[in-house]
Amino acid sequence: MASFTREQLERMTVRELKEMCAYDLNMPGYSKKTKDVVIDAILEKFGKKTESSKASVKTSGPMTGMEFQAQSILTKPDAPFGSKTTTTIHVSCGASSGNFPVVGRTVGQVADFLREVLNVDKLSTGLVNGQEVSSNYVLKSGDSLEFLKPAGRKGC
Amino acid sequence: MSEHQIVVIGLGGVGSILIERLARFLNYSRDISCKILLLDGDTYELKNYSRQEFSEIGSKAEIKEVELQMKYPRLRFMSENVYITEANIGNYIKEGNIIFVCVDNHKSRKIISNYCKNLKNVTVFSGGNEFEDGNVQIYVRRDGVDLTPDLCAYHPEIQNPEDKLPTEMTCEELANSEPQLYFTNLGVATIMCWAFYNVIIRQKILRSEIYFDITTMTSDAKTRVLKKE
Repeated sequence: MASFTREQLERMTVRELKEMCAYDLNMPGYSKKTKDVVIDAILEKFGKKTESSKASVKTSGPMTGMEFQAQSILTKPDAPFGSKTTTTIHVSCGASSGNFPVVGRTVGQVADFLREVLNVDKLSTGLVNGQEVSSNYVLKSGDSLEFLKPAGRKGC
Repeated sequence: MSEHQIVVIGLGGVGSILIERLARFLNYSRDISCKILLLDGDTYELKNYSRQEFSEIGSKAEIKEVELQMKYPRLRFMSENVYITEANIGNYIKEGNIIFVCVDNHKSRKIISNYCKNLKNVTVFSGGNEFEDGNVQIYVRRDGVDLTPDLCAYHPEIQNPEDKLPTEMTCEELANSEPQLYFTNLGVATIMCWAFYNVIIRQKILRSEIYFDITTMTSDAKTRVLKKE
């Protein structure tokens, strides 16, 4: 099948695009997607770069919670286009823990971001896979991060 | 029959709950023989009623020894009305002991951890809590080798304690203890019992530290790697 340009696809109706995905291109799962997403997926299928895939990953500077999550999703290198799955990392502090999309972020950034969620102490040391790391350590897929929580002092 | 020498250091909110449960378990375990030494320099007072289990006012260690000996005659109890210090620790902790650390300051934990690092065989269960959360550390040393990290290894607040021993505190400081929640003490004592059951009875060292938080109703057990000396 001949490839399409974005302009050609934008002139088609949503119904035409979705039928093309389902019957001609063997691309199931786009019946509920928006027109832009379907066009991006078709262009991706023909090996053309889309706006989404050109997005760069910012690695420094202050972030909002939304930016933080969005960038972490984009850092998953082998995620198929349109996939909503993300690479998450198990992060814990004391009894609190969870899986968070923080691949590509530094331990220091994660500490700031999850400080209130996991009750991370400002001076808490980070352990990645059990080993102490600096706050500049960049988290990779498969890592497990723990922020050390001080021991309880009382008991008598 | 296996023989154990147990030392319980601190008989306050955690220790007084722990020893009752531990003694009941040991007394009715027919294949276990036990000597239990109770250490605490404190006295039981009216202010302790809300969290601690004693039958009368007086030396916590001595009262608890009498109470437990009557209830659990298969076990052999001893007591000393003392606080652990660097000077006296060698009188109470010996090779092969199982130690329950239920104190209320990190300075005591550091003294105990450092002393035990020089023994060949020892098992230490150390518990502590804040108002609504707490943790238990498990330090196991066999044939002169650490099987789990000592109490200070992952806890700079224990390695460099900012608090005082009870023997260094004034009467006013001792009287002004911070409030504690009975349920949190109970949580620490319960997890120390779980740790004892796994390490001593089942002989499985699955974890080296367990945290819990009453407000989130969660707990998490950690496996810590040994640090190179």
